[in-house]
Amino acid sequence: MFGIDDPWILLGYALCFISTAFGIVYGILKWNEEVD
Amino acid sequence: MVNQLYFWMAAAVYAVVVLYLAWLGYKRTRCNADYMLAGRDIHPVILGLSYAATFISTSAIVGFGGYAAKLGLGIIWLVMLNVLVGVLIAFIVYGKPTRRIGKRLGALTFPDLLGKVFKSDFMQYATGLIIMVGMPLYSSAVLIGGGRFIEEVLDVPYLWAIIGLTAITAAYVVFGGLVAVMYTDALQGSLMIFGMSAIMIVTLSLVGGFDGFQSLTDMSHLVPAGLASTGMTGWTSFPELGSATWYTLVTTIIMGVGIGVLAQPQLAVRFMTAKDGKSLNRAIPVGVISILITTGVAYTMGALTNVYFYQHFGKISTEMTGNVDSIVPLFINTAMPEWLVVMFVLVLLAAAMSTMSSLFHVMGTAAGHDIWVHLRKAKFFPTKLSGSDEDASKLKVNKAATFVMIAASLGLAFVMPGDIIARATAMFMGLCAAAFLPAYTVAVFSKNPSRLGAIASLLTGSVAWAVWTVFVHKAESSVLKVSELLTGSPSALGFPWTVVDSLCIALPLSIAALIIGTMIERRKAPTATEA
Repeated sequence: MFGIDDPWILLGYALCFISTAFGIVYGILKWNEEVD
Repeated sequence: MVNQLYFWMAAAVYAVVVLYLAWLGYKRTRCNADYMLAGRDIHPVILGLSYAATFISTSAIVGFGGYAAKLGLGIIWLVMLNVLVGVLIAFIVYGKPTRRIGKRLGALTFPDLLGKVFKSDFMQYATGLIIMVGMPLYSSAVLIGGGRFIEEVLDVPYLWAIIGLTAITAAYVVFGGLVAVMYTDALQGSLMIFGMSAIMIVTLSLVGGFDGFQSLTDMSHLVPAGLASTGMTGWTSFPELGSATWYTLVTTIIMGVGIGVLAQPQLAVRFMTAKDGKSLNRAIPVGVISILITTGVAYTMGALTNVYFYQHFGKISTEMTGNVDSIVPLFINTAMPEWLVVMFVLVLLAAAMSTMSSLFHVMGTAAGHDIWVHLRKAKFFPTKLSGSDEDASKLKVNKAATFVMIAASLGLAFVMPGDIIARATAMFMGLCAAAFLPAYTVAVFSKNPSRLGAIASLLTGSVAWAVWTVFVHKAESSVLKVSELLTGSPSALGFPWTVVDSLCIALPLSIAALIIGTMIERRKAPTATEA
């Protein structure tokens, strides 16, 4: 994909975006969570 | 070369805004708790931006960007760990209990938190001492990164560059405390996100869009013989498993920094500035986006510099300049349009100042709060010098101690060798993880934390890290020369130990010491600890 063949590099990029997306969704879902 | 007129106009606007925010911070610092923890009431967006801006320094952009140019895109795993461990696990798993326990115990600093959780003065001043000894290594590396860049791009002598950078940062840290630090961080973090996004777009346009990655893959035959013989396979593939390059990339760069970030005192203290758990949740989206953009762009751009230099000069990045730390500045200076060079200089200044300001603040409060409170009560200490318990006196001491630690960092920047930014950063983060991470983890999760376990872990982790760094890990031991002097060889052990980072040895030993110390303490006094 995009000229990168090594699955480890592609997995690294994929996990970067998945982690970021998780952080955004988590922050929104827990926006008003009162429990500490 | 940067257009001097454009730069100084932009720098003047930037300086005025920074000074205004610093003045706001100064006005809102009314007592010692404001100076140390921004009154425990910081806005979530400011917290998220400040966390990212503190986390990402010139080390990440210039130092690790240069490493990406040298070793390729395998470093993208560090971006993943920066987001996953550095923000998600840090905020969700560690941040909430840190804030809650810190507030309950009235802890004002990271060493203060450990000291109060373990009911141990030793934990407080030993942690403070490690910060005072180890952190200047990191703050000086950041300062050198900023200074070298200013020298290269603005033609300002290096000496004046680092003195100027230190003086401006020192002014707002000493007088404005953590409020000024976090307000200016938020501005600097925003600038970094905007600037790095623009740089990614322009870099891709320079190398033919996403086809640039194909060009980089096709360049694998150009890997220098020295690196190819130690396992490097290309810039878009991971090094050979178990090779020297693989060990360096995985154990020092990816693991050392990726995991080391969890026990960074300057980041842990950020959690204690939040008003409640809700504020920490709200800071997470800002944090992950900031970290992804700043580090993701720096490392991807770093690797792609090879394509640009090869297409225009017929050389790969490390052939363009012998110093890894000069690759990114050279690329920006050579390839980018004038307005973006100005923007990048400001981004780098922002990255350097936002990290330095937090490090200066943590070193100053470690000296002024954690060490001083113990020293002044010692029997041998002259009463004339010990000051009063009044809050104003403590605030004055913290400001003075911050000033002293800033001067120490500046002094160290004169004697540290070049080409060291990324390595010094990884060293400091490794030391933090080995010395603090097990004890910090127990402090925030155990209902019944063991004092003996924590002390054993801190001592074992820091000593093991120091011994491995001085005697075995070749990248440092060959420079320090202590091993050569005593054993006749730069490293006391053979491959692969010479390329296994100190963190990978010291952290497991530190965890083992924590477990053994805890078991001994519980065996001695089962009723006291199980109550």
